[in-house]
Amino acid sequence: MLSMETLTYGILALLGVISLLGTYLAIIEKDLVKAVIFSALQSTAYAFIFYILMAPDIVLVYVPVAVGLYPAIVLFLIKKTGRLDGDEP
Amino acid sequence: MKGWKHVIAITSLVVSTSVLALATAIGGLGYILPTPGVRDLAYWYLVTVLSPSNKLFTAMSPEAVTSIVWDYRGLDTLFETSVFFLAIIGSIALMRGIKIVPERLRNYSSGMSPIVKTVTRITAGMIIAVAASIALHGHLTPGGGFQGGATAAVAPLLLMVVFSIYFIIKSGITEERMLALRTAGLVGIVFTAFSACIIAASLGTQAYVFQNQPKSTAAVGLPASIMGSLTSGTLIFFNLFEFFAVAAGFTIVFLLLSIPENIVKQALRGVESEH
Repeated sequence: MLSMETLTYGILALLGVISLLGTYLAIIEKDLVKAVIFSALQSTAYAFIFYILMAPDIVLVYVPVAVGLYPAIVLFLIKKTGRLDGDEP
Repeated sequence: MKGWKHVIAITSLVVSTSVLALATAIGGLGYILPTPGVRDLAYWYLVTVLSPSNKLFTAMSPEAVTSIVWDYRGLDTLFETSVFFLAIIGSIALMRGIKIVPERLRNYSSGMSPIVKTVTRITAGMIIAVAASIALHGHLTPGGGFQGGATAAVAPLLLMVVFSIYFIIKSGITEERMLALRTAGLVGIVFTAFSACIIAASLGTQAYVFQNQPKSTAAVGLPASIMGSLTSGTLIFFNLFEFFAVAAGFTIVFLLLSIPENIVKQALRGVESEH
């Protein structure tokens, strides 16, 4: 039988893999709007990791900043420059 | 063929990270990770943070993180707040002289469909309520001024996207007002930092800057509870003022970022041709 500790570490490892996937996809994606969404996926996984590691203060600041404000600022910048990586604005 | 390349890259990344994690966990880097139990320093904070009998070290708040952030290492947090304030001042200086909404577009209305607008009206109120709860209960439960302020800043951002920037300016959330609110928050933080000194000076004794509870050499301090409810001295005031400062600061950044690019370029060209 799985013990509670093993299950917690397993979920942590799974969330770590999801964040790794999100980061990789955000880096290789040429469409910057999609890249922001992958980056937000990575941030969501990190928010869950912080919660499992019993840091609710960090979760409360990480969720609005990394999932709300940071993608919004980057989307504003993408709107002002170019949507595709390597494009001239 | 191209898809396979990514699958191989992702698999190798996951495998190498897992191997590194495993090597670290079993002591492959030369030392064993600390045990998951509570360590000495953390234990010291946890027992002193709310202990009325230990008057010398207590912050009179059950929330260890807020106590550390605004009491034990309060001066660091003050400088963090100043750094954020200077960043906002820098962005305002870059965009100086540019009207966010030109006069001819003052009464222009646009935005998304009525369904989205109605839902946003409800959720914006809920976001503000949650943010206020996070900030005002920051000395009791996880959260605090910065967390609450960052959450509150999502509401004007949502209104900006759904109702358009013209609606925001028309409803009174202007750059000048947000800057005034932000400055008022910072003045409040500075005033709270010196509050124990001011009380002590009026009583003819001495106190420390950033003092919260009475110490052995400085016997004045802010009340730990007001009318039976725990307010943890300076902590609730710091959280309240930081909440306004952070929420207004982020809103200013979004107002400045929402200025259309052609208006900025026009204004810059105007400045260049004057010289």
